[in-house]
Amino acid sequence: MNTEPVLRLSGVGKAFGALTVMNEVNLDIAQGERHAVIGPNGAGKSTLFNLISGMFPLSAGDIRLRGKTISGLAPHEINRRGLSRSFQITNIFHRLSVFENLRIGVMARHGVRYGLFRRVSRMRGVNDEARAVLERVRLAEVGDRPAGDLTYSEQRALEIGMTLATGADVILLDEPTAGMSREETDRAVELVREITEGKTLLVVEHDMSVVFSLCDRVSVLVYGNILATGTPEEIRNNRQVQEAYLGEEVA
Amino acid sequence: MEFLIVSTLNGVIYGLLLFMVSSGLTLIFGMMGVLNFAHASFYMVGAYIAYTITALVDFWVGLLVAPILVGLLGVLVERYLLRRVHEHGHAHELLLTFGLAFIFEELVKLFYGDFPVNYAMPDYLRFPAFTVFGTDYPFYRIFIGLVAVAMFVALYLLLSRTRAGLVVRAAERLPSMAEALGHNVPLVFMGVFGTGAAFAGLGGAVAGAFFPTNPNMALELGVIVFVVVVVGGLGSLEGSLIASLMIGLFSSFAVGLDWSLAGLFSLVGLGEWARSLGGVFTLTLSSISGTIPFLLMLIVLLVRPAGLMGERN
Amino acid sequence: MLARIVTIAAILVVLVAVPPLLDIGWQNAMTNMLIASLFAVAFNLLIGQAGLLSFGHAAFFGVGAFATLHLMVVIEDGGLAFPTPLLPLAGAAGGFVIGAFAGYFATMRSGVYFALVTLAIAELFHSLAPHWDGLFGGEAGLSSMRMPWGGLVYGSSLEVYYLALGWTVLSVFLLWAYTRTPFGRLTLALRDNEQRVRFMGYNAHSTKVIIFAVSAMFSGVAGALLAISNETANYTLFSTHVSAQVVLHTFVGGSTVFFGPVIGASVFTLFAFFVSDVTRSWLLYQGLIFVLVMLYAPHGIGGLVDAHRRHWSQLRWSELAPAYGLAALSGLALSGATIFLVEAFEILFSPEYDAARRRADGAWPPFELFGLDWQAFGIVTWAVPVLLAAAGLLLLPRARRALRQAWDGVLERTEADRTGSVSPELAGAAER
Repeated sequence: MNTEPVLRLSGVGKAFGALTVMNEVNLDIAQGERHAVIGPNGAGKSTLFNLISGMFPLSAGDIRLRGKTISGLAPHEINRRGLSRSFQITNIFHRLSVFENLRIGVMARHGVRYGLFRRVSRMRGVNDEARAVLERVRLAEVGDRPAGDLTYSEQRALEIGMTLATGADVILLDEPTAGMSREETDRAVELVREITEGKTLLVVEHDMSVVFSLCDRVSVLVYGNILATGTPEEIRNNRQVQEAYLGEEVA
Repeated sequence: MEFLIVSTLNGVIYGLLLFMVSSGLTLIFGMMGVLNFAHASFYMVGAYIAYTITALVDFWVGLLVAPILVGLLGVLVERYLLRRVHEHGHAHELLLTFGLAFIFEELVKLFYGDFPVNYAMPDYLRFPAFTVFGTDYPFYRIFIGLVAVAMFVALYLLLSRTRAGLVVRAAERLPSMAEALGHNVPLVFMGVFGTGAAFAGLGGAVAGAFFPTNPNMALELGVIVFVVVVVGGLGSLEGSLIASLMIGLFSSFAVGLDWSLAGLFSLVGLGEWARSLGGVFTLTLSSISGTIPFLLMLIVLLVRPAGLMGERN
Repeated sequence: MLARIVTIAAILVVLVAVPPLLDIGWQNAMTNMLIASLFAVAFNLLIGQAGLLSFGHAAFFGVGAFATLHLMVVIEDGGLAFPTPLLPLAGAAGGFVIGAFAGYFATMRSGVYFALVTLAIAELFHSLAPHWDGLFGGEAGLSSMRMPWGGLVYGSSLEVYYLALGWTVLSVFLLWAYTRTPFGRLTLALRDNEQRVRFMGYNAHSTKVIIFAVSAMFSGVAGALLAISNETANYTLFSTHVSAQVVLHTFVGGSTVFFGPVIGASVFTLFAFFVSDVTRSWLLYQGLIFVLVMLYAPHGIGGLVDAHRRHWSQLRWSELAPAYGLAALSGLALSGATIFLVEAFEILFSPEYDAARRRADGAWPPFELFGLDWQAFGIVTWAVPVLLAAAGLLLLPRARRALRQAWDGVLERTEADRTGSVSPELAGAAER
């Protein structure tokens, strides 16, 4: 039985000039775990994702994916090793169709990065798989529409789909339900639960009900430091966490 | 020795002239994010307007009126043309100014012909300022330098001592904040654009009487001005001044030097061999003096795009 | 789909069958049109598809021309038995190699900085070439001759035309095929959102270098065709003017549609051919058209055509025709006024008129324009452009309103068709 964490952050720190935004962050995520990162605004949750996914270099510490260091690698290299992230602000290809948006990810998974000498419409494997992802994120009806024309929650679903399409098995979702209504949120949670079956999920969330219904473990990030890690129940009853969220409703 | 002094003087003055034109360009880019391809056209139009007014009225009237008219032209361009394409993005603005540069050049050719015009300083300004080792150094060159210095001082005082200058500097940092504070940012943009244009026009008016005034002058100066603003740092006035002087001095010196790689090799007795290789080895510094600024520009763009004093973004 | 194939086939038939019937001047013009079109399509690969605006594409056009000329010299003087029709391969190779090298550095930057790098590279060539005799023939440039091969002499402009046609059609087809490859789709994604492409596992820099090299390669082919046609090349091929022309052609034709650049290049080169005998201000008109397109029709001619094609079933000609009619009238009046003024000024400010004035002892003699004589300060003379301009300006707001209304309707109907819902007005209209 493999007990090595699939993602391990050790002593991770980040400073922008004189401003330290992250300090001594240690976190272990197990294979297949669904882990939420919560915390007040400005605590550094997105920065954490940016560090893990390679957008910024670390100022200190190390990040290992399946035992191998990924800190210092370029985003595309990290993605190729099986870690994929979504963005808090929808980051899609507006002028391409929804189907094509997903296909770009599938192409990468199939290693087709410089395919200059074949017709993309003939690539059965890639197209079938892209269509499968389209079905799974329930966007099959709008597949041929330009992604920029979708509604907000449809775009968020596409955002998640694109994150998945690259075939990564460690998925980072940055506030997937941001800006959604109650119904949309519930549907999004169902979607996320379904499509991350068997994968490792790290999700930044503000909505406590999502955290409770979706996640096995929770970490609380406050001012660039992990205050506590535990099951949702443990976290809810944690005095320090309650203080950090003074005035905020803990589900 | 004579070469040294004359080249230094020429270099500094040419550099100051470059600064007159590049100051506006770098200010406009720093503030509005627009790289105005038509900026050197303002220089050219300034020269031609001054030429026309000199022929009709008087040289000094030309010097005074040309920058004002060019400034007005700049205001109109910003208000009615640039602003309209602002929403389509920076690429579109670039393209528009590109097209404008094209039009200005053709308009000049339409009215003045596709050949140089005889725009010259009045005779009473045509005397030597001093004599250097037997060669007369023309006063008018010094005059160009003086105008540039006066302009720089005025610009500096304007920006640092006046309320308007304060608003301009605020609008450059955070336009939306400045607007929220009640300042009319579009008006500021128009003013900066117009002032930048006026300075370029002044440069043209004063330099055109000494250097050739022809429809190609915008293009010739334009590319060098781009080099200057890149090397100095897009948006930085001080950087623009330093880079202008650097490039001015370099061009002045390089034009008179016949150094070549072959010459370098001949220092160790391999001159003949190097010369027989031809190609790169026989290129003289004077002949590639025009190329080196672009090489410098490339190096800056690739290694440190912020230039000497620009801001990293 | 069928309509497109038929259109392209028809154009090809015309391009193949008509030129033998034309005189040499026309044939040369058509060759230039082909070269400009290919250059523009290659250029548009960078901006239209990858979103990278280059202001120095003349560098690769020129490199292609010089590479080809060197090969021609080797064939002519050295007796190398290289097939003349395959000469453009030298241009392709030169363009590709220099393009990959230049592109590696240029694509390290984006936006304005990228544009400046490309400008600097072109200027590097432009300033160095006149001083480098070996590679660029110094100020005079290089010259050679087309050698006979395979039974053809390649002496006539018609043969050159067919050579250019073959290569242009092949190259444009390859560039079109590019858009159908996975890499072509990736290129579009890169334009939309480079960051996302990175996070989906692609090395964005290498991708951009390849795109750049491909664009430079086909630009090199265009340059090669020019070298073959003119049998000479010099440093002016690296000038800003050449880079400017391809930019103008591409955007007037429309950079968002594949064939847009072809339209722009063809229209401008053919018009230049027609009109350059009649007026010296052709370039001014070109610049004015470009700026007007940038202001009022940012997607160019191709974009307009494409908009009609996409909304074809929702177009209502009973509304559009009068709107276009008004716009055309307004446009004609304003163009007429502009052309009259430009041509009049052209004459009044020309050295010839100056000489005529001196002959007339300082008076302002009448000048001839459009076959009529006009008084320099006559009221009639200046009334013409003023009245035309006034008419045009009066009609303009009306035309704009009509166009806006007609197109609002088109877009509404498109939206309704797509969502299956009907807007209240349309529902009401249907009931009535």
